[in-house]
Amino acid sequence: MEAGLKTMTIKDSLIAEFESSKNSLFGDLKLREQALEAFSKQGIPGRKSEEYKYVNMELALKGDFKFSSSKKLSTQQIESTQFLKEAIIVVIENGIFSSEHSKINSLPKGLQIINIIDATSNVIFQKHYSKYADINSDAFIALNTAFYSGGVFIRVEKNAVIEKPIHIIHIASASENTILNSRNLIVVEENAQVKIVESYETLDLSAKSFNNVLTEIVVEPNAIVDHFKIQNECELGNLMSTTQAVQKGKSVFSTHTFTLSGSLVRNNLNIVLDGEHIESHLNGLYLTNGNQVVDNHTLVDHREPNCNSNELYKGIIEDKSSATFNGKIYVRKDAQKTNAFQSNKNILLSDDGTINTKPQLEIYADDVKCSHGTSTGKLDADKIFYLRARGLSEASAKKLLMHAFASEVLDGIKGMEELHNYLEERISKRFE
Amino acid sequence: MSNEILEEQINSDYKYGFVTDIEADNAPKGLNEDIIRFISKKKNEPEWMLEYRLKAFKYWLTLEEPHWAHVSYPKPNFQDIIYYSAPKPKVQLNSLDEVDPELLKTFEKLGISIEEQKRLSGVESRIAVDIVMDSVSVKTTFKETLSEKGIIFCSFGEAVQEHPELVKKYMGSVVPYTDNFYAALNSAVFTDGSFCYIPKGVRCPMELSTYFRINASGTGQFERTLIIAAEDAYVSYLEGCTAPMRDENQLHAAVVEIVTHKNAEVKYSTVQNWYPGDKNGKGGIFNFVTKRGICLEDNSKISWTQVETGSAVTWKYPSVILKGDNSVGEFYSVAVTNNYQQADTGTKMMHLGKNTRSTIISKGISAGFSNNSYRGLVRISKGATNARNFSQCDSLLMGDKCGAHTFPYIEIKDKSAVVEHEATTSKIGEDQLFYCKSRGIDNEKAIGLIVNGYCKEVLNKLPMEFAVEAQKLLAVSLEGSVG
Repeated sequence: MEAGLKTMTIKDSLIAEFESSKNSLFGDLKLREQALEAFSKQGIPGRKSEEYKYVNMELALKGDFKFSSSKKLSTQQIESTQFLKEAIIVVIENGIFSSEHSKINSLPKGLQIINIIDATSNVIFQKHYSKYADINSDAFIALNTAFYSGGVFIRVEKNAVIEKPIHIIHIASASENTILNSRNLIVVEENAQVKIVESYETLDLSAKSFNNVLTEIVVEPNAIVDHFKIQNECELGNLMSTTQAVQKGKSVFSTHTFTLSGSLVRNNLNIVLDGEHIESHLNGLYLTNGNQVVDNHTLVDHREPNCNSNELYKGIIEDKSSATFNGKIYVRKDAQKTNAFQSNKNILLSDDGTINTKPQLEIYADDVKCSHGTSTGKLDADKIFYLRARGLSEASAKKLLMHAFASEVLDGIKGMEELHNYLEERISKRFE
Repeated sequence: MSNEILEEQINSDYKYGFVTDIEADNAPKGLNEDIIRFISKKKNEPEWMLEYRLKAFKYWLTLEEPHWAHVSYPKPNFQDIIYYSAPKPKVQLNSLDEVDPELLKTFEKLGISIEEQKRLSGVESRIAVDIVMDSVSVKTTFKETLSEKGIIFCSFGEAVQEHPELVKKYMGSVVPYTDNFYAALNSAVFTDGSFCYIPKGVRCPMELSTYFRINASGTGQFERTLIIAAEDAYVSYLEGCTAPMRDENQLHAAVVEIVTHKNAEVKYSTVQNWYPGDKNGKGGIFNFVTKRGICLEDNSKISWTQVETGSAVTWKYPSVILKGDNSVGEFYSVAVTNNYQQADTGTKMMHLGKNTRSTIISKGISAGFSNNSYRGLVRISKGATNARNFSQCDSLLMGDKCGAHTFPYIEIKDKSAVVEHEATTSKIGEDQLFYCKSRGIDNEKAIGLIVNGYCKEVLNKLPMEFAVEAQKLLAVSLEGSVG
C-alpha cells in the first residue's frame, strides 16, 4: 500500500517548511509565527467547510510542492504580458518583486512604489500592514501572512491624482510544483486618486502552481480608487486571490474582477465600509470552460450609516467547468440608511457544467434598502430566433447574445479605454 | 412614537399558555434503549417497529447536534426530557362524550370546538381533526365519514396496528432515520402522530387537520406524520400547534413525510404557534422539525404553506423532492419573530424529473430582538430537463435591534434550467403609514394592514379556516412593534 509512504500532508509540510526557513524570513517574525499558528489551527479548508464547499482546495494542493522558484524569465517574455502601454509597471515574478522588470524609476509626484521587503521599516507600512486581513478569519490569509515572500507596497500621498494606471503583473513560471505567497499593501491617502490593475499570468509553466496572493487596500477619506483584477492563468495555474479593502468616509472604491482562464480560481473579496457616505462598486465577469473551477466570494460589510454598495457578477459556463458565486451583504446594527444591491446572472451552455450561487443578506438595521437577485438560464430561444430571422447564423446570433451579456460588466470600466479594448478583444476571442 | 402600544404588546400574554390539569402517564426522564423499549411496549408495537426504533437510536448516538443554522440556544439535555407522556385515561373512545371533559375544555379554549363541528356535520365545510397532545393522539373525528371513501385517517399508533403494510412501506422512505440528528432522534422515540392514506382517485371531501399540543412539563414532543396520496388523489391537510407557558425550553422534534403518486396532490398547511418564550427570551419551544415530501410519480404536486409565529427557536425546512416528470413543488411561508425569538427556516427543492417546477415565496418579519433567516436550497440535477424555479424572499424589519437574513443556495447542473431568485429587505415605508393614517386608520391597524398586504401572497394559499386565524395571529404577534 502506498498510503503508508506518504504521511506528510500539505499542512505538515508547510509547517515544517516554516520551521526550517523562518530565520531567513524578513519582516515581523512574531506576526508570522502567530499567523502560522492560526493556519495550523484552521488547516486547508476541506469540502465540509461551509465557505469552501464548492471548491476542492485539497485537490489543488495535492502532491509535493516547493515554496519558491529561482527560474528567471527573459525581458521579452515578461513584456508580452504588458497589455497596457501607458502604465506604471510592477512585476511580481514567482512571488517576488522584480526590480529588474518593474518600471518605477520616474514616478509621478505623490506616488511611492516600494519592494515590500524594503518597506517593513516604513511608518505608513507599519501602520496598515496586516491590520485588515484577519489571520483568524481564513486559512489562506494566515498562510500568506506566515509565508509571504515578496510583493509591493504602494502609497498614494494626500491629494495626489495619479493619471497613469499602475499595472501589477503577477507571473508564475516554475518548472516544479510550487506554492507562491505574495502580498501587496496599497494605501491611498485622503483625497488621492489612483487606478490599479492587477493581472495574473503564467508563462512557460510546466508544473502546477498555487498562487496565494493577498492584497490589502486602504482607501482613506474622499479618495477614489479603481481596482481591476485580470485573471489569465493557464491550465496548470491555481489562483487563490484575496483582496481586503477598507474604506473611510466619502471614499469611492470600484473593483472589477475578470476571470478568463486558470485551473482553479478562488477570489475572496472583502470590503469594509468604515465611514459614512461611502460608495462601493463590485463587478465581476467569469467565463469558464474545460475543467475550470471558479469561485467568487464577496463580503460587503456595512459598518456605518448612509453608504451605498452595488454588486454585479455575471458568468458564462461551458464544458465541464463549474462556477460559484457567494456574495454576502452584511449590514450592522448602526448602519442605517444603507442601500445595498447585489445581482448575479449566469448562462449555462453545456450539459456538464455546474453553477452554484449563494447570494446572502445578513441585516441588523431596519432603515435600509437591500436586495439581491440571481438568475440562471440558457440563451433565450426567442432572442436567437429574432436574430436568425434577420439573417444571422445561429453561431453568430449566440455570439452576439453572449457578447451583449458580458458587456454589462465590461461597461463598468470607466476612463480606461486601453484596458476596455484589451478585455473586449479577449472576450470576443473566447466566443469565437 | 407610541410607547403605550409597545408596552401593551410586551405585556400582552401568550394567549394559549394555560396548562390543562389532566393526569398524564409519564415515562421516567432520560433516553436509553430501555426507554425506547418502554415506549414501544406502551404502544403495543410489533417487533419490526421496535427494531426500527433501536436502529435509529444507535445511529443517533453516532451523530452530533448540527450547529450550522443561524440560531443560538442552550443545547438541550437529552437525558432531562420525558420521552413519553400520555394523557390518562387512555381508553378506546367511541364518541366525544367519552372524552375527558377537561380535554374538551382545553380544545374549546384553543378555539377548536369539536362539539360544534360535530353538530355541524353534514354541512359542506367540515374538518376532520386528529388531536395530538403530548405526542399521543387523543381523538380523531369524522373517522367513519372518511372511511366510507376509503380514506384512512388515524393516529400513527393505530396505523401501526391496523395498516402495518402501509406504514412499513412508506415510513422512512422520504425522511430516513439517517437524515439528520433530529430525524434520527424522532425515529427512535416518536410516540404518536397522524397517518393519512388517500386511495386511488379519491378527492378528500374535507380538510384533514392535526392539532398538536405540548401540555405536560419536562416533556419533549416527538410526533410523526405520514401522508400518502395514491394515484389521482387529493388532500388538503392542516396542522396547528400550541403549548403552555413554561420557564424551561421544551423540545419539539417532529418528522412529516408526504408521498404523492401519479397525478396526486397534497396541500399541507401549518399554523405554528408554539409558546415563543417570554419577553426576556426565557422559556419557549425549540422547534426542530424535518418535513419533506416526494413527488414520486409524474404530474404530482406538493404544496407547503406555513405561518410561523411561535417557538423560541425554529429550525425547519419543508422540502420537496421532484422525482416524477412534470411534478410541482410549492413553498409559501410567513415567518414572524418578535422579542428574542430565532427562526431559521426555508425550503429545499430538489429537481430530478423533467419539466419539474417549483415556486418559493417566503416573507420574513422580524421585530424586537429577534433574528429571522431564510435558508433554502434549489438543486437542479443533471437530466432534470426544463426545470423551472422562481424564488422570492422578502424581509421586513421592525426596529433596529432585530436581524433579517437570507441564505439561498442554488446549485444547477442542467443547462436547460431556468432559475430565478430575488430577495429584498426593507422596513415598513413611512409613506405607507402616512397614507393610512391620513385616512384615519390608527398606527396599529395600519401596521396590521400593511403586514397583511405584505403577506397576502402566502395567506391566500391557506384554507379559509386557517387564513382567518393566521391573519389574527399576525396582528397579535406584531402589536405595537413599530413605534
